[in-house]
Amino acid sequence: MKFCSTKLINSSALFIGLAIMSGAVSAQTVKIGWLSSLTGPLSSAAVAENQGVQLAVEEINKAGGILGKQIQLLTRDTGGDPTKAVNFAQQLAFKDRVEFVIGPVNSGEGLATTPILARAGVPNIIIGSVDELTDATKYPRAFRAINTNVQWISTANNYALNTLKKSKVAIIGDTSGYGTSSAKTAEELLAKAGIKPVYSVLVDPNKTDLTDEMTKARAAGADVVMPWTAATGLLARILNARGGMGWNIPVVGHPAIMAPQIKKLLNQPQYWENTYAAGYVSTSYGADGKLPERTQALVDKVRPSYGGAEIDVMFWWVALGYDTVKIIEYAAKTAGSTDPAAIQKVLENTNKFEGVYATYSWSPTKRNGFPDSNMAVNTANTFKDGSFKFAPR
Amino acid sequence: MLTVLISGLAIGMLYASAALVYNVMYSTSKVLSVTSGHLAMLGGVFGAWFVNTLQLPWGLGLLGGIAVGALFGWLTEVLAIRRVLNRGEDHLWLLSTLALATMVQQGVALWWGTEPRPFPRLFEQNFSSGVLDQKFWLPIGMTVLMAIGLELFYRRTMYGKLFMAMSEDAFAARARGVPTDRIRVMSYVLAGGLGGLAGFAAGQLTFAYFALGLTLTLNGFIALAVGGLGSNLGALIGGTALGLLSAFASYWFGGEYQQTFAVGLLMVVLLVKPAGLYGSLKVRQV
Repeated sequence: MKFCSTKLINSSALFIGLAIMSGAVSAQTVKIGWLSSLTGPLSSAAVAENQGVQLAVEEINKAGGILGKQIQLLTRDTGGDPTKAVNFAQQLAFKDRVEFVIGPVNSGEGLATTPILARAGVPNIIIGSVDELTDATKYPRAFRAINTNVQWISTANNYALNTLKKSKVAIIGDTSGYGTSSAKTAEELLAKAGIKPVYSVLVDPNKTDLTDEMTKARAAGADVVMPWTAATGLLARILNARGGMGWNIPVVGHPAIMAPQIKKLLNQPQYWENTYAAGYVSTSYGADGKLPERTQALVDKVRPSYGGAEIDVMFWWVALGYDTVKIIEYAAKTAGSTDPAAIQKVLENTNKFEGVYATYSWSPTKRNGFPDSNMAVNTANTFKDGSFKFAPR
Repeated sequence: MLTVLISGLAIGMLYASAALVYNVMYSTSKVLSVTSGHLAMLGGVFGAWFVNTLQLPWGLGLLGGIAVGALFGWLTEVLAIRRVLNRGEDHLWLLSTLALATMVQQGVALWWGTEPRPFPRLFEQNFSSGVLDQKFWLPIGMTVLMAIGLELFYRRTMYGKLFMAMSEDAFAARARGVPTDRIRVMSYVLAGGLGGLAGFAAGQLTFAYFALGLTLTLNGFIALAVGGLGSNLGALIGGTALGLLSAFASYWFGGEYQQTFAVGLLMVVLLVKPAGLYGSLKVRQV
């Protein structure tokens, strides 16, 4: 008995000591949860965004952290699976008790996790583009840093209708949730401009040849093709079909059509000409061939991790990841604490917070922080070192 | 319109080759391995790696693709089939082959990436050839050759006859001295090689893409069920029917209906002729 009670006292003392210590440690860190689909679909975006997030966390921690506390980044790989995303979101909010959550990357996962994090009252920086992810009443502490899907579509529509002066639009979406809803939104936005598409179709993202759809579009008299899909295979096949048919009309659509992987999937490199996509001012080379100052500064910081070689991913992902942590830092510093209600107050009264990817503004009724003025149109085949050239205006 | 026909035929032939792979594995083990589609995926991905990344001539790339497929076929037998069949648990092989298929898919995704990557052009040909493009005719030609080759194998060679003996009655074959375990391993290696070959031939059509496996497993199964288990001619017809139906459904009604028609076809055939078009219900005399 004596032996047992000594052991009991010793182990409970140890246990209490550890509890006090861990409690002390957690009070000395700011916990940020990061829901990222590092494996699985859209992993290339997530991996690049992760780079930006890690860089920002390191930088801030070196400079002393947020409000004197070091940032503890809890990365959770959701693998693109909404079920895993939900489980991790619950863990982060209720078990790990994080003070902020960034992500998830995929809109599909975001639609599942945003209500959960809203219920837990955890401030959530949204990086999915589907419009339903933000709502000032339903999700008061969810603030979006990326542009919305509507912004992508309107930018492309404006370019096709007003700059290229086309009026007979052919829309090609894929049968995924994103493609179906984007094709619908595109039609609605065109209708507002008084245009009805001459041809609109949804295609399986793995369909092996797009010649039939493109032939039908041509027969319907289309003078511009607008694809709304993030599937690079499908986008490459659309360009291949256009090239194989010898049909010289512009293609204007989703930013994925500028992705460097597209080039390798094309039958001929010239099939990438006369192709434009919605992009960003922050990752576009100006007339002087230079990037905006803040983007260039971040590029220089990131360069060592590429061994000095060229950046081979879309740089706006890295910039977006970096900005999400900087937004959190700004909010906490301005609020003077990480109390969720205080953070919400600060963010919803933010006007023109200058990040690298964009200059963000939110309001008590507006949770989409990306301004229309930061959208741009880029020429698809001008990828260099992570950024693009502006499309001709 | 012609393109719909030819592209539907080409993808249908790829499904048919997956059904042929199922058949070979089924003949000796009565197992419908979920890894069938993934063999073609491996053939395509490794073919692209050998030729594009390692810069080998395409002949060596082809042999490499077949070898990788054969290796994975062997691995399927060793890991997912052997002990499961010995235990005699009904249909546990479904779970074990599914597990192995998932592991290989995720493994390839981690190594190769989740975006489709280019497959090399095998023969010099203008890209404006339309329906005569090799990306259509390679899978069509290869599958027909595979089917003919399998028929010759079954009828003219000793090992082929052993396969047929095992598929008719494995116990009787064993009683006559046939080394059924070794024959089963051989059939899985052969099926693997055929799968790799099919994937390599269809690479230009599908791109080298990690997620191809599951699509082919499912559609190959539909082709198999429509054509009848165990029949190679049935596999060809089932695959062609499935490919053409999906292509025309997509052309006339839109991409959303592609899966509806594919699975709808399966349901109709199973309702009318449950054993498939060329399958036969095995009646055992007692």
